[in-house]
Amino acid sequence: MILIINTTADTSITSDLREALAGKGATDFEIVEAAGMKISHCVGCNFCWLKTPGICSIKDDYEEILKKMITADQLWVISGTSLGFLDHKGKNIFDRIMPLVTMYLKFKGNQMRHVMRYKKNADVGLIYEGEADRAYLERWNERAALNIGTKSLGVFPAEEWKEAVLCMH
Amino acid sequence: MHALIINGSPRVKKYSNTDKILLKITAGMEESGATYEQYEVSDRSQWPKIRERFYLCDHILIALPLYVECIPGLLIEFLETLDAERKAAALENSAKRPVMSFLLQSGFAEGVQLRCGEAYLEMLADRLGCEYGGTLVKGDNFSIRLFEGEQREKITGAYQAMGKIYGRDGAFRDEACRKFTGPEVFPLPVRLLVGTIFKTLAKKGFKDKAKEWGCTRPLDDKPYLQ
Ligand SMILES: Cc1cc2nc3c(=O)[nH]c(=O)nc-3n(C[C@H](O)[C@H](O)[C@H](O)COP(=O)(O)O)c2cc1C
Repeated sequence: MILIINTTADTSITSDLREALAGKGATDFEIVEAAGMKISHCVGCNFCWLKTPGICSIKDDYEEILKKMITADQLWVISGTSLGFLDHKGKNIFDRIMPLVTMYLKFKGNQMRHVMRYKKNADVGLIYEGEADRAYLERWNERAALNIGTKSLGVFPAEEWKEAVLCMH
Repeated sequence: MHALIINGSPRVKKYSNTDKILLKITAGMEESGATYEQYEVSDRSQWPKIRERFYLCDHILIALPLYVECIPGLLIEFLETLDAERKAAALENSAKRPVMSFLLQSGFAEGVQLRCGEAYLEMLADRLGCEYGGTLVKGDNFSIRLFEGEQREKITGAYQAMGKIYGRDGAFRDEACRKFTGPEVFPLPVRLLVGTIFKTLAKKGFKDKAKEWGCTRPLDDKPYLQ
């Protein structure tokens, strides 16, 4: 399943994506318009690791997204930008992902990682609207995907959304 | 030297590891005769005051936890609210650009884990119209909040010497700051040893802590598959 989370108020991009995905015969995708949803930042309470394993203590609209994430093969986040990076709405989607990993640790290659909570996590792609440092976002997205034991699907400015669609399957 | 110190952690001050590290940094700064004022991004009621002080101080130190390889969403949200006019003035008047330094700390222990976040901070200082004063980079801080007394001191104690340097230089450019990070990756024998500790002692320690916090399910439970 391809899960697309749009944290921007621009729904023209998701209409384009919907149309393009349908056009190439994709049926297993879901688009979440998250701009109007109530999604807090992560408060770092660690409850999802040590008190209520796998469940975030913040009761807001993010839980719905988290439940979809565990069934997704690909996660695409559409984000606005600020100060060369994702804006806070986009970054919060990633910060709140911690319930997908456990408190247990291991080495993967030569680096420490968390042991994953579920058998598989989604590969991660980014589409950004506005000015940002693309090379940095590419580097960052690879590291972010590593955090959930997966790989980056690429980083695309909104104008290049058609390139992103080529990577959606 | 007077510094505006911002704790960029979303965690409330009482439980923030950054705050415990800053206790040592500021003690070190005082040894050097420096003064400071400290604010917390986790407390939104302090945001107007931080904004007011932001471009009035010559030295700004943002201390923050690594959050998914970069800066926490809440800190981004705060930075998004900074006064564009004052930022533009700082950018224009480069002689008066404040020196912005960072203390980036994380859970994972190896230096390599923090480099992606560090790279962004250098860019961030520039985007905010400040001169980059370097980043003190250090991992292995996850347990600060779980420990008290001597055990906590063992992790935080060494930061005091770094605070002394920051108080002296108003930046983290000294070679000692670079060395403070420790190894970029652990050599294989250390990885094997630490890997074994993860599966035994550390696992037990986390289970005990969870029990203390009232956890009634296994730590690797899969709630959304039931
Ligand atoms: C949402 C979230 C994301 C985190 N991401 C990372 C990470 O990418 N790498 C890492 O080494 N530690 C990571 N950590 C661990 C924190 O950086 C570490 O526990 C830090 O000491 C917390 O400081 P604080 O108590 O001041 O917030 C993360 C913690 C949270 C809650």
